[in-house]
Amino acid sequence: MSKAIVEVSGLTKIYGSGAAEVRALDGVDLRVPEGQFVSVMGPSGCGKSTLLNLLGGLDTPTTGTISIDGHALGELPDDQLTELRRRRIGFVFQFFNLIPVLDATENASLPLRLDGAANAEDRTVGWLEKVGLGDRLHNRPDELSGGQQQRVAIARALSTEPALVLADEPTGNLDSKSAAEIGELLRAVSLTWGRSVLMVTHDPRIASYAQRLVLMKDGRIVDDLTLDGSREGPRQALERSGLL
Amino acid sequence: MNLTTTLAWRYLRGRGTRSLLTTLAVVLGVMLTFGLNGILPTMLEAFNRNLLAAAGKVDLTVTSTYDQPFRPAVVDQLLKLPQIAVASPGVTGTVPLPQDANADSGALAQVTVVGVEVGTVSAVRDFALTQGRMLVATDATALVLNADLAAQLGLAVGQDLVLPAAGGTVRFRVVGLLTAATVPGAEQVFITLPAAQQLFGLGNRITQIEATLVAGTDRASAEQAVSTALGSDYQVGGLATESSMLASLQVANFSFTMFGIFALATAGFIIANSFRTVVAERRRDIGMLRAIGTTRRRIMGMFLTESLLQGILGTALGIAAGWAMAAGLLAAMAPLFSSVAHITIGGPQFSVTTWLTSILLGVGVTVVAAILPARAAGRVTPMEAMRPQLAEVYARKIGKPAWIGGAVLVISMFGLTTGSSALIGLGSVLFLIGIALVAPAVVNPVAEVASRPLAAIFDREGALARSNLQRNPGRSAVTVTAMMLGLASIVAMISVVTSIFSGFTSYLDKSLSADYLIIPQSIILSQGNVAAGPQLAQQVGATPGIGAISTLRLGKAEVDGGQVQVIGIEPTSYLKVASFDWNAGSSDAAVTELGNGRWVIANGIYAAQHNLVLGQAITLNTPNGAKVYHLAGIGNDYLNAKLSTLYTSQENLSRDFNVTTDLLLMANRTASADQAATKAQLTKVIANYPAFRLYESQAWRDQQLATFNSTIVIFDVLVAVLAVPSLLALMNTLAISVLARTREIGMLRAVGATRRQIRRMVFAESLLLSLIGTAFGALAGLWLGYALVSAMSAVGWQMPYSFPWGGLAATVVVGIVFGVLAALGPARSASRLDVVSALHQE
Repeated sequence: MSKAIVEVSGLTKIYGSGAAEVRALDGVDLRVPEGQFVSVMGPSGCGKSTLLNLLGGLDTPTTGTISIDGHALGELPDDQLTELRRRRIGFVFQFFNLIPVLDATENASLPLRLDGAANAEDRTVGWLEKVGLGDRLHNRPDELSGGQQQRVAIARALSTEPALVLADEPTGNLDSKSAAEIGELLRAVSLTWGRSVLMVTHDPRIASYAQRLVLMKDGRIVDDLTLDGSREGPRQALERSGLL
Repeated sequence: MNLTTTLAWRYLRGRGTRSLLTTLAVVLGVMLTFGLNGILPTMLEAFNRNLLAAAGKVDLTVTSTYDQPFRPAVVDQLLKLPQIAVASPGVTGTVPLPQDANADSGALAQVTVVGVEVGTVSAVRDFALTQGRMLVATDATALVLNADLAAQLGLAVGQDLVLPAAGGTVRFRVVGLLTAATVPGAEQVFITLPAAQQLFGLGNRITQIEATLVAGTDRASAEQAVSTALGSDYQVGGLATESSMLASLQVANFSFTMFGIFALATAGFIIANSFRTVVAERRRDIGMLRAIGTTRRRIMGMFLTESLLQGILGTALGIAAGWAMAAGLLAAMAPLFSSVAHITIGGPQFSVTTWLTSILLGVGVTVVAAILPARAAGRVTPMEAMRPQLAEVYARKIGKPAWIGGAVLVISMFGLTTGSSALIGLGSVLFLIGIALVAPAVVNPVAEVASRPLAAIFDREGALARSNLQRNPGRSAVTVTAMMLGLASIVAMISVVTSIFSGFTSYLDKSLSADYLIIPQSIILSQGNVAAGPQLAQQVGATPGIGAISTLRLGKAEVDGGQVQVIGIEPTSYLKVASFDWNAGSSDAAVTELGNGRWVIANGIYAAQHNLVLGQAITLNTPNGAKVYHLAGIGNDYLNAKLSTLYTSQENLSRDFNVTTDLLLMANRTASADQAATKAQLTKVIANYPAFRLYESQAWRDQQLATFNSTIVIFDVLVAVLAVPSLLALMNTLAISVLARTREIGMLRAVGATRRQIRRMVFAESLLLSLIGTAFGALAGLWLGYALVSAMSAVGWQMPYSFPWGGLAATVVVGIVFGVLAALGPARSASRLDVVSALHQE
């Protein structure tokens, strides 16, 4: 078995207290090996976004441990956590989150430049070409379509050669054609470029681009299965678990 | 360019109009501080040049502290010092020129006669001849002067100029013309030292020494050495800083500085507000940057860099604008100066301090104002990138800042009640900051009250507008505060200006009650004034129709190393033609007291500066040694309102100061006398004293008032400049508050609000905000103005507080009109919002 990029055990996250207590995560264990593409699905409030935030070190768990690429998140001070995010984790957001005043290359090279890397932009251009934006290098976000903006975001996530890419509803704001293209691209991130990808999504068709599907409900993992590439696989799995 | 700077610059450019508006606030603040501070040094320089004109190579001058002639042995004392290269003794005095009685007021009435030691003077002054020859040691009646002055006097080489001398007149022959240009107000003619000593009846005494320093000597240390060697009877340097014009300039400078400080405080607030908005708008960007690995420190750095860029830009533009403003104001004032004071003023001059202060303040205020918003930005969690907050982020807790604000207000009171002008300035700025902090806590209840009349006009939209304000007191408070700060500083400045002017006007009315004033042509520089012997007063007193008459004499004393002018009055007659504006505890009895020995009356400035109490002993260093005087009373008169002044009897002035000549005569007409006939008689008497002019007091008062009014125009312009930032702030915050509520407005439209209703709602909101802001601003401004006026009284600028009715009315009208104007754009854009995209806006 290959090296684990994500290792999570006994993860619990509780918001509020007393009567207002919400168990967003309730004892989650998860292991993601290097290069694997995992989709996480489940109804609203099932805890999938909380899981993603905890994995990204954006939020801290109530109990349990998280290890990303061999680093235990709970033991890192904010600055080192920030550095880990910068170097080992790539983020793709629902709303793309590009800086409106920077062009595609500048946006994609942000993490490298934050890291003080040399030739940040040259190194990024390669990624932009790989995600199919070779002819859009110097356009600002408002000059790009939604799908193109998300490609810039993916290039940005990959620019630091991270071990893990976390994608939160990456197609939530896209039409179905662009969404499918982004699904393909994330699959390439995993298969071609060997990064682990963990994607939270509502869309079963997009989830089907992953190799593995994790289903969640009420803060727990209720199913964990391997996908065969069929577009209908995730929908059937949801039906089986009574989540649809 | 590194990433931080790139981002900062791009963002700054990206929010174009808004950046421009906030930068403009900095520009205006810097413009006022820089520009106004450029004017004073220029005027000082004009005076300096006036006094030390032609003295091209002089490094140092020595004169008597008491304006007394002194022994030539002082020159040898000076030459013993290793720093002094050449010391040239001289005599300077002003003599009246024979004048045609019908001559217009612009004709030259007096010239300064400079007696120079031929052997040494060429080392300290340049005498470039255009015609004729230079003076030689044996010349007893030869004279050289500037060619342009000669032309003005109608003289040529070989012709004679008759000057009045101690005994009779002396006829001088023009032997040479100089190329130098004459500075108006410093018309000089040069004769030999012995001739001048003869002319002024000085024996072998001299009035000044001009010296040059050994090359490479530090001027300040040389001045120090000379002071130490000669003692306190002599003053080193050129210009005594006690002339009344300089005092006026200092008062003006204080107000100017306050203007600048207020403008910058307002600018700081506008910038802080603008950055708060910017941080709120960019929470998602910040969240993403945090998520992908940007440290908190770096996020703060980005915002601070942005403010730094904005500060640098604003300061640069402000300095350019300030330079233009100073040049413009000086150009506008130049004719006034040359006709009234016979002084030419050049272009603006900026000291290194002014440059540094302006740059530090402009850039500093901008960066400091951005610190809190930048910290807030650093605290944005990376979660914002994942799930952007839809709720507004402006709302803030009211409790803590309001308490801090209360504390700041209390501290500001201490600042305002101290005597020091620096602390008064600090106190007033603290006061404004305190008000700004307290404002959010009081916006709610005030909105409740203020909206009632509005509801009558705007119906349902009015209620909606009010609830918009109340739901988010933080945001409303920002707008109200911006408006309030601007208006408060305006109302306060108007209060101070009104009080200063009404104070002087009241001194004018009270202390100068005589019917006639006989004043030297140029009363501006006491050094250059011509005094008259007792026969002028006798002749005026003997003129038919003249009743009471009293004179003023002028001496100079030194107290604790500082100079003070000592005015000699005649205790028996002074109150018949003039009066004092007494401070509490003093009365006319003090004037009578002056006749009973060494008593003085101090004016408010002097008393405040030295913390005097009645009966206190004051040791005055006089030309005849240290003498102990006692304080009989504290009172003010118009002529000396701006100067540290002591009044004593003319008898004391004669005994201790050797002054027996009159500087100014005041006379009353008898009840039965005919006005025209009396004036005609007096005019005849004065004709023999060409250095003096006769004024009927009413005319003189009118002339003074006209000068005031022309000065007030300058202040009005400044107030208007100060008002611009508050308009900008209001427009800015209002526009932002509409932006922030885009979704909400979309919702209102979706559930059936008409465009008209939306427009009315935004409009009502703006009107409500500006009503509250104006009310706050007016109240805070009135209080601040009152505090400033009292504070300035504590420093010695005694003035009655004058309620600025006109200014207040204008401010309220301007405030409300601004509110309406500022609402026009946002109301239009709100009503034109596309419903669907507004609802989907994230």
